[in-house]
Formats: sequence, structure tokens, C-alpha cells
Amino acid sequence: MSVVFKRVLCVAALAVVLTAAVDLGSLSAQPATPPAATPPAATDGFVPVTDLPPAEQLPAAPLVLGAYAFIWVAVLIYVALLWRRLGAVQKDLDALKHLPPR
Amino acid sequence: MLQRSVPLLLVTTIVMFAVAPFLIHNAPYESTMGLAQKIFYFHAPAGIVMFVGAFVCGISSAIFLFRGRAGADRIALASAELTVLLGTIVMVTGPLWARKSWGVWWQWDARLTSALLLWLMFTACLLVRRYGGPGSDKLAAAVGIFGMCNVPFVYVSVNVWRTLHPKTTVVPSLGPGMREPFWFCIVAFVSLFLLLLALRIRLSEQQAALDARYLELDDRASA
Repeated sequence: MSVVFKRVLCVAALAVVLTAAVDLGSLSAQPATPPAATPPAATDGFVPVTDLPPAEQLPAAPLVLGAYAFIWVAVLIYVALLWRRLGAVQKDLDALKHLPPR
Repeated sequence: MLQRSVPLLLVTTIVMFAVAPFLIHNAPYESTMGLAQKIFYFHAPAGIVMFVGAFVCGISSAIFLFRGRAGADRIALASAELTVLLGTIVMVTGPLWARKSWGVWWQWDARLTSALLLWLMFTACLLVRRYGGPGSDKLAAAVGIFGMCNVPFVYVSVNVWRTLHPKTTVVPSLGPGMREPFWFCIVAFVSLFLLLLALRIRLSEQQAALDARYLELDDRASA
């Protein structure tokens, strides 16, 4: 009984080992893993493309609006500062004009 | 004369800057750069008037240094401030245009680097004048003259060295539809420059009058 049991165990073990070996062989023979949804960052080499994908392209409208807005804001800030300084100096001049002569 | 023309300059500048966006909107798109090229209509005039400001500052600084005229010093200070203001506009709008057209915000090429140096020289001129102590007006005038000497190099840099920046031949070769809004914006920026120059000179004159009044009061008090 024990001999038969040992033979059965040996056959089962052999079957498991053979199955595992066949599975590993089939795995190694498979082509490379299919590409993921987002490709990993290129570390081994760079592949040039002529055009950026649409998601990477920068829209021009915010840049144009930003440029014109900056010009307006810069000029208006300068004018406001100039106006304030002119007003302050004029106020001091008026105050000194009204001082009584000593 | 400049002071008397302030109301006219004010009206002209406001009207021109109100009309300019409509002209720029109606101008045709450039074939390769598309919408981003519209920045050109304010960027290039600001740059050209910045050069004008640098020349005004340099010439009046030279007059102040060699003739000692206080009026020339006031013009030099006013135009140095405006050169820095216009330079700031150029330095900010240029990278916004470049990011779309070239794919980078900044490139250390001859035009961009020399224009940055010009801006830094006039900023240095103002800083020297503000924090330099006694005699800083003459030192600032010398810096203003050096700044003016840098202008021709900035202008020709695009033709002499290889740069990403468009060459100076772009302006004469502008087609119909692009030429008119460009020259309109040039006149608008010149008008703005003259207006701000007149106001800034007026401020310097008022400050000089205030200083003279304080001195007069001090003399009276000590007498």
C-alpha cells in the first residue's frame, strides 16, 4: 500500500513539475507585454515625433490674452503711481504756500 | 511745449488704445504661428519705443553730464523709467509668444540676451539714482549713455547672429492687413510714451519746486 502510495505521489509530483515547466516555457515564449494605456517615461532612449499629441499642445488664446492684459495692467499701475506721486507733491507744495512768512 | 500738449496726447492715446484691439482682431492670422502672432502688434511697438526711450535717456544724460542742465536730467530720469516700463512689457510678452511659437519660454540667444542686458542697464540706472547717494545723478547719467550704446547691438543682433527671433526684415515685409494695425500701434505707443514722459517730467519739476521751497524756508528760519 505504501509502495503504491509512494508511486502515486511520485507521478503526481512529476506531473506538477512538468506542468510548471511547460507553463514557464510558454510564458517565456510569449511576446512582450502589451503597451499600457499611458506609456512610461522614456529612460532608455527618445523616439522623435514630428507633431505633439493634441493633449500636449498649448492653446494660444490664454497666452495672447495674458500678454495684452499684462500690458494694460503694467501701464495702468505706472499711471496710478505717477498720479499718486504728483498728487502728494502738489499737496505738499500747496501746504508750504500757505505757511506764513517768518 | 510737451506739457501743453498733455490733454491732446491723453485723448489721442486713449482713443488709439481703444481702437487698436479691433484692428488687431481684424488683422489676418500668420500662416505658421496663428493666433499667437497677434502678440506682435503690442510686443514689437513696445520694443521699438523702448529703443526710442533709451536714446532719449542717453542723449539727455550726455547733455546733463557735459552741460549740466537740470532740465536734461529730468528728461533722462523720465525716459529711463519709461524704458524700464516698456522693457518689462517686452520681456513678459515675448516669452508668452515664444512659448507657443518656439515651444520654450526663453532662449539664451543674441537678441533675447542683449535685450535683457539693455533692460538691466536701465534698471541699474534707476537703482543708482535712487540709492546711490550724493552725485548719483551723474553716475546714473553715465549708465544711461552706456545703455543707449547697447541699443544698436540689440537691434542688429537678429541679423548678425543666428537666433530664433524674427529678423528686422519682418517689419518692412508685412503684408496688407498686417501693416496698418502695426503702424497704428507704433503711433499709439509713441503717443503713450510722450504722454507719460510729459507727466513724469512734470513730477520732477514739482519735486524740484518743493525742494527749492524747503530750502527757502530753511534759509528764512536760519536768518
